[in-house]
Amino acid sequence: MRGLVATHGGIGAELVEVVAMIMGPGTGLESLSNHGKSAHDLTEEIVVWLRGEGESGAGSQEPAIIFIDDYGGSCANAAQLACRPSDPVALVSGVNLAMLLGFATWHEELELEELVQRLVERGRTAITRLGGAS
Amino acid sequence: MTVVLARVDDRLIHGQVTVGWCQQLQPDRLLLANNAIAADAWQCRVYASSVPPRIQVSILSVAEAVNLLKGSEAEQEKVMVLTGSLPEMVDLVRLGAPITRVNLGGIHFAPGKRELYPFVYLDDLDLRALCRLAELGVDVFAQQVPGGREHGLGVQAIRELGGPC
Repeated sequence: MRGLVATHGGIGAELVEVVAMIMGPGTGLESLSNHGKSAHDLTEEIVVWLRGEGESGAGSQEPAIIFIDDYGGSCANAAQLACRPSDPVALVSGVNLAMLLGFATWHEELELEELVQRLVERGRTAITRLGGAS
Repeated sequence: MTVVLARVDDRLIHGQVTVGWCQQLQPDRLLLANNAIAADAWQCRVYASSVPPRIQVSILSVAEAVNLLKGSEAEQEKVMVLTGSLPEMVDLVRLGAPITRVNLGGIHFAPGKRELYPFVYLDDLDLRALCRLAELGVDVFAQQVPGGREHGLGVQAIRELGGPC
């Protein structure tokens, strides 16, 4: 399973780096920024990543998850337009560190649908009030 | 219809538009004029889904967009107009859309384009389009987000960039 964190600015790169700092190498995650890119170029970049060009050259059929920071932004639009209905790809918005740590933990053992379900749940669980003024 | 902002942005409908400018200007409708997207139901669906529900969305060809903007329906409606390129904005104005001011909000790097601002890169086609807008009496300014610095682009400035005005 491959994972791409597609975000505004440097958010994705930082998240991927922090996951590797915590989990070590082999997280299965890469990042991509929308910085300085048109909708067309951003979409094309995701298409290239989905095809896995530069690896086997024959195109990747490996299942993948694209994590996006915010629904409705340029990365979300580009990711939706880059995917064909037949692609084994899931898009998940609202990416956070807990979600990505889950991906690094389970990406080699779980099937796509089960993994997505767990990651969405884990990401939501991480959003909680810890205390402070009442 | 009152055009509250006519913006050239090659990211089309995205956060700077739906959050930044829409919160500031409170349009009733967002109108994206783009022939290719208007002809593709899937792309229309993706872009329309990015818009907050209180704002109406129209994704139309350039000719259809002009008709909507020139029509007398919903005269009180505030509309934000978007194109993905300068030549498309010129077409809107040339065909009679009531646009007197154009915002350059995002024209990103592509081969042949030169940096004017970090969010505006222009090639010869763009410079010709800017001259055409000036001929048509349209004021042009570059500004990425509300509250950001506004850079006026008058005829003299366009000439200095190499525009054939």
